Amino acid sequence: MHPSLIFDMDLYHPKPEHKELRELVGTLGQDLLEKAARHYDEQENFNEELLRDFGRKYSLFGLTVPLEMGGHGLDATAEVIVHEELSMYDPAFTLSYLAHEVLFVNNLYHSGQDTLRQKYIPPALKGEFLCAMAMSEPQAGTDVLGMKTMAQKRGNLYILNGTKQWITNAECADAFLLYARSGPNRKDISAFVIERRFKGLRIGKKEAKMGMRQSPTCQLILEDCEVPEENLIGRENEALLHMMRNLEIERLALAAMALGIARRSLKEMITYAQQREAFGKKIYEFGQIQHLIAESYARYRASRALVYETALCVNPQERQSLSAAAAKLSATQMAEFVSRSAIQVLGGNGYTRDYPVERLHRDAILLSIGGGTNEAMQKNIMKDLVQLENLDI
Amino acid sequence: MNILVLIKQVPDTEAKIVVSGGKVQEAGIKWIISPYDEIALEEAIRIKEKTGGTVTAISVGDDLVQQSIRTAYAMGADHGIHIKHDQYQMLDAFAIASAIAKAIEGRDFQVVLAGRQGSDSDNGQVPLILGTLKGWGVVSFAKKVEIDSQKATVHVEAEGGEAIYESTLPVIITANAGLNEPRYPSLKGIMASKKKPIEVINFADLGLGTVSRIEILGFEPPPPRPQGRFIDGADPAAKAKELARALREEIKVI
Repeated sequence: MHPSLIFDMDLYHPKPEHKELRELVGTLGQDLLEKAARHYDEQENFNEELLRDFGRKYSLFGLTVPLEMGGHGLDATAEVIVHEELSMYDPAFTLSYLAHEVLFVNNLYHSGQDTLRQKYIPPALKGEFLCAMAMSEPQAGTDVLGMKTMAQKRGNLYILNGTKQWITNAECADAFLLYARSGPNRKDISAFVIERRFKGLRIGKKEAKMGMRQSPTCQLILEDCEVPEENLIGRENEALLHMMRNLEIERLALAAMALGIARRSLKEMITYAQQREAFGKKIYEFGQIQHLIAESYARYRASRALVYETALCVNPQERQSLSAAAAKLSATQMAEFVSRSAIQVLGGNGYTRDYPVERLHRDAILLSIGGGTNEAMQKNIMKDLVQLENLDI
Repeated sequence: MNILVLIKQVPDTEAKIVVSGGKVQEAGIKWIISPYDEIALEEAIRIKEKTGGTVTAISVGDDLVQQSIRTAYAMGADHGIHIKHDQYQMLDAFAIASAIAKAIEGRDFQVVLAGRQGSDSDNGQVPLILGTLKGWGVVSFAKKVEIDSQKATVHVEAEGGEAIYESTLPVIITANAGLNEPRYPSLKGIMASKKKPIEVINFADLGLGTVSRIEILGFEPPPPRPQGRFIDGADPAAKAKELARALREEIKVI
């Protein structure tokens, strides 16, 4: 029996819906993502229609949005399950799913006023609007509060100027949730919903990336971009709280993607080690291969437990920055190690594109950078630890 | 147009079947709607989407089959009827068809869709017997179906071409592979399917008595496959010679 089932409590499926969700998404991943993943990686081309179908046909957007607004009223665990399962087959597609579902839909629902929700959430859930989020800038990554994009009120418009960098889905997105500086103080940040058709918005060059090549990443250029005042999310200069809050679930979803990559890498290397022979033996009988696979398995299981435990307590009402940072730091390093080990176990075959492990490894590296670098996670963890009063860790 | 779909719940085509004590051991098996029945269900939902009406899924079995009725709901069925029988493994096709015929008495179905055969027992009899009991026409192995208010036109693959049948309604049509590509349920569909009621009819209450004509004495697993044998020899010619000798003298097939 799986250890998580012993206490009548399944950490990986706290509710029956979680099991059904995993089954549905696993089937979709296997049937719709698996075969085409290599093609889209090699072509650096995005399967946009399939992502829209995730809303149109399979209603897989709005997991954390209440039923009244057309969502599913589920939780962070549901997001973790979907990101983990999809990443088994195609992490790049999953990254684009994340940008729409977590960075835009979840963020806008929990931070926006009702008029903005009513306007943008329903079309985003149906896949009619494909969405993205814009935070980083060419000169402001980890130092996010160093952002220079300015929003100035003029009449009933905000006028935005600046450049946003690393915008997942920018190539095809219909709307963006965008952060900009709106006052003299470092923490004077506001958030806006910006539609692609707004005057003064331009999509910049598409990045040529090492991994996550299906997922289109571009610059956004704002030149006197005109944004109606009603598209301000919440109140002026108060976006920092919801930025930080949404980063928690984003980090958890990225950690979940790391789990999916690791699980797939493990399956590949365990299968291969039982088939491949050398010196008259199956290679899993060699201690060096055992070392790679056993270390990978143990680290995967440890990270998986941490990510799902964290998912139980991440919600819009409370802050869990310490656990979310620890989950992302642990899982992403683990996924880099496990996917790299898989290449090593598969040897020359692992280095070819005929096997998925080299792609998984290239994709895994992004997870240690996006959504806050692992160095930023270390910094955040230390900051939170020194503030703990009784060191109850 | 009210459509009835006959659903059989079967072990997943990838499930490992364990037989012991004359019975198929069901623990640990993942159950699915028989793939041909899933095609029939998809066709019924498409007809409903085009012409309106309802789709009812009916299944005979123990409480576990409610899972397949819920899957039918998630795909788009409107009603589900569960004919409950805990020892359903021992029922033959005649008993199942009789139970369905009895359960739908007085209900208004113009079209019955079913898979051409269950993927477990491969009998393919229930729709045919149901047609006989009800006096309705049956067209088997459909690869294209057109329904209007008066008649059904069914295309069936035939030797070197295709046969086109026309039938008055009600009609029973069995689905072949290639009729359509069944849809995946949506998450919304799955969530909503959990709240929909299923109509349960006890097999015993149908008043059929012991209706099976065939008694199933037991199940046995197929004998394990004997290990393959390698023919040894210094070169291809010697191996061929040894193979010919073994086939002639040991196995006696040439």
